[in-house]
Amino acid sequence: MERESISVTVNGRTYERAVEPRRLLSDFLRDDLRLTGTHVGCEHGVCGSCTVMMDGVTARSCLTFAVMADGAEIETIEGLGSADAMHPVQQAFWEKHGLQCGFCTPGMLMTAVELLKRNPDPSVDDIRDAISGNLCRCTGYQTIVDSIRHAAKLMREDGA
Amino acid sequence: MYVGQAIRRREDDRFLLGRGSYVEDITLDDPIAHAAFVRSPHAHAAVTRVDAARAAAMPGVLAVLTGEDWTRAGNGEAEGVWPVKDMSGADARTVNRPFICVDGTVRCVGEIVAMVVAEDRHQAQDAAEAIEVDYEEKPANTLTARALDADTPLVHPAHGTNEVLVTEHGLKEETEAALAKAHHVTEVVVPTNRVTAASIEPRCYMGHHDTVNDRYTVWTTNQAPHIVRRYFTKSLNIPEHKLRVIAPDVGGGFGMKLYHYPEEALVLWGAIVSGRPVRWVGTRSECLLGDTHARDHHTVGRMGFDAEGRILGVKFETLGAFGAYESQWNASITNAYHFTMLSLAYDIPAIHTTVRAVYTNATPVDAYRGAGRPETVYQVERLIENGAHEMGIDPLELRARNLIPPEKFPYQTAIGITYDSGDPPALVEKARALANYDALRAEQAALRAEGQWMGIGICAFFDMAGAGPVKMMNDLGAKIGCYDVASVRVHPDGRITVFAGSHSHGQGHETTWSQIAADRLGCNIEHIDLVEGDTDRVPMGIGTWGSRSLSTAGMAVYTAADRVVAKSKRMAAHMLECAPEDLDLADGEFTVKGTDRKLSFAAVANASYHSGDRPPDLEIGLEETSFFDPADCTYPSAVHLCVVLVDPETCAVTLRDYWAVDDVGTVINPMVLEGQVHGGLAQGIGQALMEECAYDPESGQYLAGTFMDYAVPHAEDVPSFGLDSHFTRALGNPLGAKGAGESGTIGAPACVCNGVIDALWHLGVRQVTQPMTPKKIWRAIEDAQRAQQ
Repeated sequence: MERESISVTVNGRTYERAVEPRRLLSDFLRDDLRLTGTHVGCEHGVCGSCTVMMDGVTARSCLTFAVMADGAEIETIEGLGSADAMHPVQQAFWEKHGLQCGFCTPGMLMTAVELLKRNPDPSVDDIRDAISGNLCRCTGYQTIVDSIRHAAKLMREDGA
Repeated sequence: MYVGQAIRRREDDRFLLGRGSYVEDITLDDPIAHAAFVRSPHAHAAVTRVDAARAAAMPGVLAVLTGEDWTRAGNGEAEGVWPVKDMSGADARTVNRPFICVDGTVRCVGEIVAMVVAEDRHQAQDAAEAIEVDYEEKPANTLTARALDADTPLVHPAHGTNEVLVTEHGLKEETEAALAKAHHVTEVVVPTNRVTAASIEPRCYMGHHDTVNDRYTVWTTNQAPHIVRRYFTKSLNIPEHKLRVIAPDVGGGFGMKLYHYPEEALVLWGAIVSGRPVRWVGTRSECLLGDTHARDHHTVGRMGFDAEGRILGVKFETLGAFGAYESQWNASITNAYHFTMLSLAYDIPAIHTTVRAVYTNATPVDAYRGAGRPETVYQVERLIENGAHEMGIDPLELRARNLIPPEKFPYQTAIGITYDSGDPPALVEKARALANYDALRAEQAALRAEGQWMGIGICAFFDMAGAGPVKMMNDLGAKIGCYDVASVRVHPDGRITVFAGSHSHGQGHETTWSQIAADRLGCNIEHIDLVEGDTDRVPMGIGTWGSRSLSTAGMAVYTAADRVVAKSKRMAAHMLECAPEDLDLADGEFTVKGTDRKLSFAAVANASYHSGDRPPDLEIGLEETSFFDPADCTYPSAVHLCVVLVDPETCAVTLRDYWAVDDVGTVINPMVLEGQVHGGLAQGIGQALMEECAYDPESGQYLAGTFMDYAVPHAEDVPSFGLDSHFTRALGNPLGAKGAGESGTIGAPACVCNGVIDALWHLGVRQVTQPMTPKKIWRAIEDAQRAQQ
């Protein structure tokens, strides 16, 4: 199959690659760039594990072709924070046990980051609504809700 | 002390930073080829032609393999971990799940007919689509309830019946007599819906054959790697010492990832044939279809009460689903875990059950979080709920009258099993207080007067967890020894590696096992690393399932650590010129009691490996292994209480409140415990209200092949949970721990369904089957109203 050249900036670094038009952004990130932190749980846009940030808004990388990301700025879990400097959302999920097996976690974190950008003080209902496109089979969601509320507090304190 | 502390998890940073290492993430030096499968589109059909010629010539294709190739290669048959025995003890009508269709007949949608191995996943899928298969369709039945009807097509005609086995348990005559003399008898048909674990990580396997050293490696999304290794001796005839099985980070298991699945055997076979490492990752549709399904029991129950509402006896007739084949552990459900717990938390003098396991043209059923006990609790608790309403006794009060009192422990149930410890009345009183039960009843009455439908759901139960003991589980049918294993290796610098035969796929063993080891060894938890999930590194293991790991593998860690302490004290005593019993070990130092003479643990570790100056009978080295066989199963118990609101306009159920009071014995990490309970509750709520592995009854086609069709609960579908606890120590292990992984899924289906019935009782509704969707509730109300006219 003919390949198309694309230029995609991921976590601040620009990659020039030739990809098949049918290549999914999730496969591009995972297999071509070896950024395996983005997980693929259903490949039909329901589970939300593959959620990344594309030009500042969340996108399902399993429902996005890599060619659609040509010229875009992508942020994945690998760009969110580091071991020495975790993002407050990562810290909060750690402190409040917002993860168990860790598989849905990257998508859940990206969704939480987007919510907190939009709404720095979300209610429990706001949070449940915002993460309703991300499936978690381990936690029952309550500790995820607690984590995001805690992250909001940490971020407000940081900002203050 | 670390045990009992809610310390944050030591495994979390890698997950939070996107550095988890799941099977699909692993790279190898050799380029990895990919497998794709051709699966039966029919529920029952003869396979009359498989033509792979066109596929074999397609770009990137390395191998196309069929059942004929499997047989020609001399590969083997599956074998049950829990073989099926009937009442006489003879082997029942077992047909194990095939790895690939070898006998020219497919018996459920999704059964594998052929495999393609190609350079990349898309080439493999393209080629799989090019394989031509002709089928001759045969009549099929996917409904467990119809499996034994006279006109139902046979799944395995050679057996002349769809019945796999029949077993009876309990006191038959006493139960009949109890029902005959009862003041009131309640009867309910209580089918449990067919569901599946739906872990968010799809199943994924990778196989590699090292031809130079004649060694094989399999990376697998699995909960029990040593057990997988054992069953490769059957599928591919590979001796255990030649095979390394690695289960790295695994994205949720819930029992479903316990088995030696067809795809797991096939990818290694594909690697052997193609000479390349081969990986397969399931699509979501393949997983919803090919992952084992669960539950799907069809039960008729009768419960007799005296005039005060005391249960005199209860009798069940159950059809238990196998699906098209025996998976691997399914007989553990019908023959062990299901019937043993029928007394729940109640003092019931007479219980009798008949279980007929049956074949249907549906995906094989096997253990999923709770495995047999959600069915048990549902069937008993639905009878209690209806009985209470029919007799006009408050449902919580009727339960309270029947609870096993604390002074009766150890309590032998009428079904034969003995609960070691517990205090059900204390759990009920805590749940009553937590929920403010009397106020809820008042609120219910007030809302009903306004035309609003509110219901209160209740259940109370015991779980059988922590399998072994080895002998007891052998007697119940297990062909594997249900012990577990840990090695504690002290390195010469005093740092410690713990190797455990359990497997963490969300449970947090890196934290909790380290908490146990650090306390026993008197060391800093940061000085401990845990290795699990690698058969070349961990001596042996039975894996994580059935809420067993803490009371088996956790106890093995505890025991091995104590042996290390005992040996290191002998070396330290030699170095400090005192007796071993004069020494304390804490904070990484040995101290001679009553003195200030100290020696660091690290110095003793170093001397243990490198000093010739030691007691003459003390062997060099500091490493101990424990194969821990517990003295008993463990018996966690719980009481659940919930509030549901049913919308009179739409019949949609809102689960407003949910409380659970658990007795899990000693708690290692309360935060981890809470997470386990929450997660199980959400899955149980899913079973009650949303989830169903539905088949079209006419065509046998599977209707739940995507996450748009199979309804896993979202964040908005579950409430915040209110938890409390009342702990009594387990007597079968020195930790006193009972296991906590399954409480939620075991109790929630019954609790939520009882809540809905309680909300609708005044409308004449007596039963709504799971999942309780708005359509089913609307239909039940319509039927009830019509019946009353």
